[in-house]
Amino acid sequence: MTTGRLAVLSNVNMNMVIRMLQKNAQVYEAEGYGNELGTLLNPQSSYHAYHAEITFLIMDLAELLEHDLDPVTAEQKIGNWFRTLEGCLPQEGVFYVSDAYLWAVELAVLADTGRKSQLEGIWERELRNLQQKHANVRSFPYRALAEHFGEEKAFSPKMWYMGKVLWGMEMQSALAEQILYRAGLEYRTPKKVLVLDLDNTLWGGLAGETDHTPVVLSEDHSGLAYKNLQRVLKIMQSQGVLLTIASKNNEADAMEILEHHPHMVLRPEDFAAQRINWDPKPDNIRKIAEELNLGTDSFVFFDDSEAEREMVRQMLPEVEVPEFPARAEDLAPAMVKIYETYFAAAVITGEDREKTAQYRANAGRKQMEDRAGSFEEYVKKLEICLLPVDPKEHLDRLTQLLNKTNQFNLTTRRYTLEQMRQITEDTKKRVFLYQVTDVFGDNGIVAAAIVDTAGELPEITDFVMSCRVMGRNIENAVIDRIEQQMQEEGYTVLRGRYVPTAKNKPVETMYDRLGYRKTDSTPEGTCYEIVLAERPERAYWLKENLYD
Amino acid sequence: MKEKIIKLIEEVLKVPAGTITEDTMIEDVEQWDSLAHVMIIGQLEELGVSIPLEEAIELKGMRELLEKAGCE
Repeated sequence: MTTGRLAVLSNVNMNMVIRMLQKNAQVYEAEGYGNELGTLLNPQSSYHAYHAEITFLIMDLAELLEHDLDPVTAEQKIGNWFRTLEGCLPQEGVFYVSDAYLWAVELAVLADTGRKSQLEGIWERELRNLQQKHANVRSFPYRALAEHFGEEKAFSPKMWYMGKVLWGMEMQSALAEQILYRAGLEYRTPKKVLVLDLDNTLWGGLAGETDHTPVVLSEDHSGLAYKNLQRVLKIMQSQGVLLTIASKNNEADAMEILEHHPHMVLRPEDFAAQRINWDPKPDNIRKIAEELNLGTDSFVFFDDSEAEREMVRQMLPEVEVPEFPARAEDLAPAMVKIYETYFAAAVITGEDREKTAQYRANAGRKQMEDRAGSFEEYVKKLEICLLPVDPKEHLDRLTQLLNKTNQFNLTTRRYTLEQMRQITEDTKKRVFLYQVTDVFGDNGIVAAAIVDTAGELPEITDFVMSCRVMGRNIENAVIDRIEQQMQEEGYTVLRGRYVPTAKNKPVETMYDRLGYRKTDSTPEGTCYEIVLAERPERAYWLKENLYD
Repeated sequence: MKEKIIKLIEEVLKVPAGTITEDTMIEDVEQWDSLAHVMIIGQLEELGVSIPLEEAIELKGMRELLEKAGCE
């Protein structure tokens, strides 16, 4: 697992955790503890020389407050800490700040039982504010760990007295594990699609046999276990996981439950695609992948039948097939584990929250495509709008788009958030970022291009488009707008470039199609130029042009 | 148990096996600093060996440590 260069800073002694981490990762050797802000503030510190990619600030609230539990003082102290942190927060790198768990022995005798959460609330509020302002700040779930073990196990007064080591050994191992897990999230590509079976998976029993036994899905007993599984899935779906169905049922029986069963948490609109029929599951999974325009290597398959799981493993070895829990009460926890193992992402963007709706709309577009007589007729019916958006306001999405797009990506350059920010502020660079909407809804921010004007000729250094909107001539409209702007700025020639990768074959001849002239071709890439005064007319259909 | 404890201490201190004996004095081992000491006492708890705070701080040598751990 890649974790990058890590640093752990704290106001308590974390050397034991750091030693545990060193077995699996590169970790900065902190110079003592309790000077976490000083370390960040001092440009000469060994921390800065180390160039950490991910820094964890694990803070003990009681120490920070010096055990002064007065809320007014706490506001000041916590406020000061966060303001100092914000003042010296480097733009380079990711910062995890622990959320709050106040552990102080005297709290046990404090009559005001709400004080603990009141003080923790101040910290949480400040942390949320900081996260909203800085895209590279994340919250580290310290509190959940302390609660998992309980105070008696999580904290060790003896170790604290001996050497300012706050936690028991198990808690320290868990901290190290969580730090590694979070660091790993920054580097991995999460899976995108969860394929679900229905009978004995989303509910107990078999659909369509209601005359004999109704399906098991309810507010108690094992019915509740299935309902809770669905609750977990619903949250996953709202965070960007595409839920799909591959199930052997009569479709009408299954839909009856999906649409009308009073205890279904998931409804048909929560699924991005579905194949309810009697075909082999590997075939159905392939079809779902085609429909969503996603590779099966981003799929996870969840089914109670060992035979089905084995068949998918054999036929589609790239699909992840986790084991299915033997007991109903383990269903929801097993799904939590699946989420953590395959789907969890370091950051969840607004785009992720809308994903299912977008992919569902795509299925609708596919159907319209089948019905429409010609390609032109179909695209016109979509009433596409291409809306420019401010790259500075959507830095997260811009970075995500450039880093995650493989097929429609002319040069496949990857950027960190910080590099992206610098590009948007570079006066020599033009960043084009577009949102696409159509009659079926919002496709989100799906196209981006960067033009660099620093060289002898302006060059399109990056051009990407999400596969969601490919095949609608939108690139023709985007390139037209880029060329128009460059012309308005007084440039006469524009350069383009194609750098081949294993995955970007679909755009190999894009510049040729757009009327660009090849000027140079090597295995590393092909260079193109166009004289802007001689731009050809290109076919595309945007809503704004349809009715004039 | 005695061997287990010695092995654990050598691992924490990252010293070659055989470095620590019953006669070792803490001040003679360069790697046995205060942090290492906290780690050793903490790891001993995992083995079910709990030496009270004040005695743990006062420890001078291995013989004494093994005694407190109930090995002799």
